[in-house]
Amino acid sequence: MILLRLAFVCMACCATARAEDADGQHLPVGDVVLEQRATAEHALLDVGVVIFDAGIPPDSSTHGALGIFPEIRRAEARYLPVLLRKTLVDSNMWGAVRVLPETAVLPELLVTGTIERSDGRALRLAIRAEDATGRPWLDKVFLDETTPADYPVAPGVDPYADTYRAIANALLAVRDTLSEQDLQDIRRVAFLRYAASLSPEAFAGYLAGGGEQAYRVSRLPAEGDPMIARVERIRNQEYLFIDTVDEQYLSLRDEMAETYNLWRQYDRERALYLADYEQRAADRGSQGRRGSFAAMQQSYNAYRSIKIQEQDLGELALGFNNEVAPTVVEVSGRVFRLNGTLDSQYGDWRRILREIFALETGLQGSQ
Amino acid sequence: MNRPLPLSLMLLYACLLLQACAAEPPLRDVQQSGPVDFSGSWEVDYSQSETVAQRYESMIRDLQREADRRARQGGNQPAAGVYVAGSGANLYALARMAEIITETQLLEITQAENGITIKREGNFALTCEFYLGRLHRVETPLGDETCGWDGHQLVFAIALPEGLSIHHRLTLGPQGERLQIATTVFSSQVSYPFTLDKVYRRFDPSVDGITCKQTLSRGRVCTTEQSP
Repeated sequence: MILLRLAFVCMACCATARAEDADGQHLPVGDVVLEQRATAEHALLDVGVVIFDAGIPPDSSTHGALGIFPEIRRAEARYLPVLLRKTLVDSNMWGAVRVLPETAVLPELLVTGTIERSDGRALRLAIRAEDATGRPWLDKVFLDETTPADYPVAPGVDPYADTYRAIANALLAVRDTLSEQDLQDIRRVAFLRYAASLSPEAFAGYLAGGGEQAYRVSRLPAEGDPMIARVERIRNQEYLFIDTVDEQYLSLRDEMAETYNLWRQYDRERALYLADYEQRAADRGSQGRRGSFAAMQQSYNAYRSIKIQEQDLGELALGFNNEVAPTVVEVSGRVFRLNGTLDSQYGDWRRILREIFALETGLQGSQ
Repeated sequence: MNRPLPLSLMLLYACLLLQACAAEPPLRDVQQSGPVDFSGSWEVDYSQSETVAQRYESMIRDLQREADRRARQGGNQPAAGVYVAGSGANLYALARMAEIITETQLLEITQAENGITIKREGNFALTCEFYLGRLHRVETPLGDETCGWDGHQLVFAIALPEGLSIHHRLTLGPQGERLQIATTVFSSQVSYPFTLDKVYRRFDPSVDGITCKQTLSRGRVCTTEQSP
């Protein structure tokens, strides 16, 4: 029965992944309404949206041709997941939705993504999602395109909101195929995988599967096991840190939105300008205006504007990446002061939590 | 600028047009970065910098002399004159472009082992990465940038539509207290490039008691407290 259900879920995923036309081109998501319906408490899975892969090719010489500005892409990799998070929260179909600095075993449903294209005209995201058991939920490319009506962007609005709504709806469609037992299994496996990440010695025996196979609960810890309480406490501390991190991501969104939307608007205008420019250049032919002051000034100003835009946004992203204020958190009566980027802070924090757990239990933590 | 050009000058322009291929030299293969560090804050030194007007007048005088010399040697070449009237205007256009491009008064340069960022007040920053002596190229739909070391000089070449190219050549003075930036503006329509030398002198931005830094949430934040 479980296999049958898994097969159904995979079929659902495969069906949604075929959003391509006959030429293999991805089709835009179009106008999407966010699906909402009454949901039982037990169905509210916690979701972790990992900071996206920026999709920057390692060969920097290709960036210009691909229209990729690495600093902006890196900022987008942090900005776009926050928008997806907001959409998932707005749907009221999920439990806690958090943006994670890196892949973790913490959430019950993990969403990852790669930015394949992001500019003022189109957004193309490759989104994957799988639950804690390893069951694939989604492996699909979402494409959205803007129209002139999307600009200028009004406060609180995103020109690619349909993308996030489409992702949320796709996740919901998969969740609807799962039984109450499936959802409970996901929650249990998530907890035990987290516990095993703290101490494989103590918890690995509760789980079966892994690797290519789906995780499943082989046995449950005893009722009132004090180790479970410790794991819950450590997990709550990790949630606490993630929530602190989330606040910073939300600040990033608030701070970036206006400038970023201007950037996207400018990018679209730039694309239209280029098309128009090429047309004018073709039409101009031998009219002799090439080399005039007006033509050169226009050319220089266009380049200067785009460079300034790029660098302003780049500085904003750099400011976020490099100037994360030290995060002070209090845990078990000890204060840890963490420095560095959010990624490194999160890594430090997880290491500290594992050290605390190992100290308290006398068990060897995972490395 | 709308006065008819003297015949001798028109002849010179005609000669220069014949040499148009030599107008924009390609950026040579670069050498590894020498021990030149441009880092610091720089303000323009007007006493040692050229003005566009000075340079333009100087060029006109030189061209006039050269035209006179060629006229004496080669006699009249009447067919060329009609063609070059527009070139005089375009040379003036290049001078105006040079004025816009070089209007920056303050520079803030940060340099590391493999890269440099030259922030220019009121303009976009020039950035360059230098690995293994290779030229660094950045291509965008609105223009291409190439940069790299040429001995102890750092060179930026920006190629824009409309046949416009801009070269910046940075040279550090012997004591490290002066920075010269020679900016050359080329046009595919003008055989003679326009070069303007600007000299910057080092200054300490904290002397006025204000230290600024870029932050994410509050933009540029300035304080009277000294950095630790």
